[in-house]
Amino acid sequence: MNHCDLRMVDASVSNWNLLQAQVQKRRVTATFEAFRANRIEPILIKGWAAARYYPNLSLRRPGDIDIAVNPDEFTTAQEVVSRRDFSNVNIDLHSGLRHLDSVAWPVLFERSILCDLNNTKIRVLCDEDHLRLLSVHWLVDGGRYKDKLWDIFYAVENRRPDFDWERCLDVVSPIRRRWVICAIAIAHAYLGLNISGLPFESEANNIPAWIKECLEKEWKQSYHFEPILTSTHDSRLLVHQIFRRLPPNPIRATIEAEGDLYGNRRAIYQTKVIARRLGPFLRDLFHFIRLKMRGET
Amino acid sequence: MNNSQYPLARKSGLVVQEMPDEVLVYDLNSNKAHCLNETAAKVWKSCDGRTSIDEMAAVFGKGSNEDLVWLAIDQLSENHLLETGVTSKFKGQSRREVIKKIGLASVIAVPVIASLVAPQNALAAQSCHCVNNTQCSSGPNLGHCAATTCNGSGLCAAP
Repeated sequence: MNHCDLRMVDASVSNWNLLQAQVQKRRVTATFEAFRANRIEPILIKGWAAARYYPNLSLRRPGDIDIAVNPDEFTTAQEVVSRRDFSNVNIDLHSGLRHLDSVAWPVLFERSILCDLNNTKIRVLCDEDHLRLLSVHWLVDGGRYKDKLWDIFYAVENRRPDFDWERCLDVVSPIRRRWVICAIAIAHAYLGLNISGLPFESEANNIPAWIKECLEKEWKQSYHFEPILTSTHDSRLLVHQIFRRLPPNPIRATIEAEGDLYGNRRAIYQTKVIARRLGPFLRDLFHFIRLKMRGET
Repeated sequence: MNNSQYPLARKSGLVVQEMPDEVLVYDLNSNKAHCLNETAAKVWKSCDGRTSIDEMAAVFGKGSNEDLVWLAIDQLSENHLLETGVTSKFKGQSRREVIKKIGLASVIAVPVIASLVAPQNALAAQSCHCVNNTQCSSGPNLGHCAATTCNGSGLCAAP
């Protein structure tokens, strides 16, 4: 199929992904150069760091650029990304890894590695730390993004022969360890990831039924999960977004509550999430309504 | 602009991805993506600031004409893919008229620069779920799943 047909403006997904991957590479190197010019050494997470494991860049749809910096340097880093040079680059700046990992920043940084990208050295987490982060991040999103499950698939499938599972799993709490195993098990169940011979093979063959139910329900949703205040222009969309949050995604709620995916306390975690979010949500909503009444939105 | 002038392709602020039969270009300044078909790409690559329109037309050989090159130059300029803009040779004529005229006279594909927009769904359709081997060896699952055969669990993976 020739994509330059006069009647057609859409490229194939793979061509689009490939082009976007090249764009992202350029932007990642520019971002690193800007940070280093300000004496900040960042770590790239997800994005190209995850795409490295894919057999072909056209298979992954690039998103924003996720950059983690030492929490002590976060304010300076914010100033760097707020400059005009980055006005059309979508950078998601993280102060450390926050809730995504419990290992201390100095340890993660010490274990991080440098990879070559268009003649620029890009710092990424070591493979073991990155797989843990990809898994937790996927669960934090409540498993909504099925396509991002491929990040976990390829990170495991194309891991180095000397990949150290203890370094990946045994540096966090038993609860977080099970999160990672669960994410890998989901990639096994839904994408056919080969887990035979892995040290946690028997655990990974036993995903709780409620997780499968939750995922399959999420993947069937016709409305994407969006920030609720961005849906206020369309009352129908707003109603859908509110109902998508009630009850809260149990996977996400469990992770937010630092809970055990293999336990049976998810209703408690969901209630906690509602209680925690209700106040800030109402505050934002009233603020938004006030702005709208003044005609400032 | 006349045929003795020398257009120069823009290089800065662009990301170029060569494909077998087209060239994809992303403009980092405007955040717009373009798809150049083979003919448009060939003209664009010839815009080195040293080659005239006449010389470019000659590159396409027998059966081509300079209007074809002009049509490409016109679109390249419109999409900011040249260092300096050019005045259209086809002022007063619709592109449809020009394409019709060239299309009938030329054996070469009419140059086209199409805007690209992000396709919907991307990889969302890929699931590696299957009911037969064909679904693993074709379509979005091809080259992306663990195997090209459908296993007993309904996945494109090893049995």
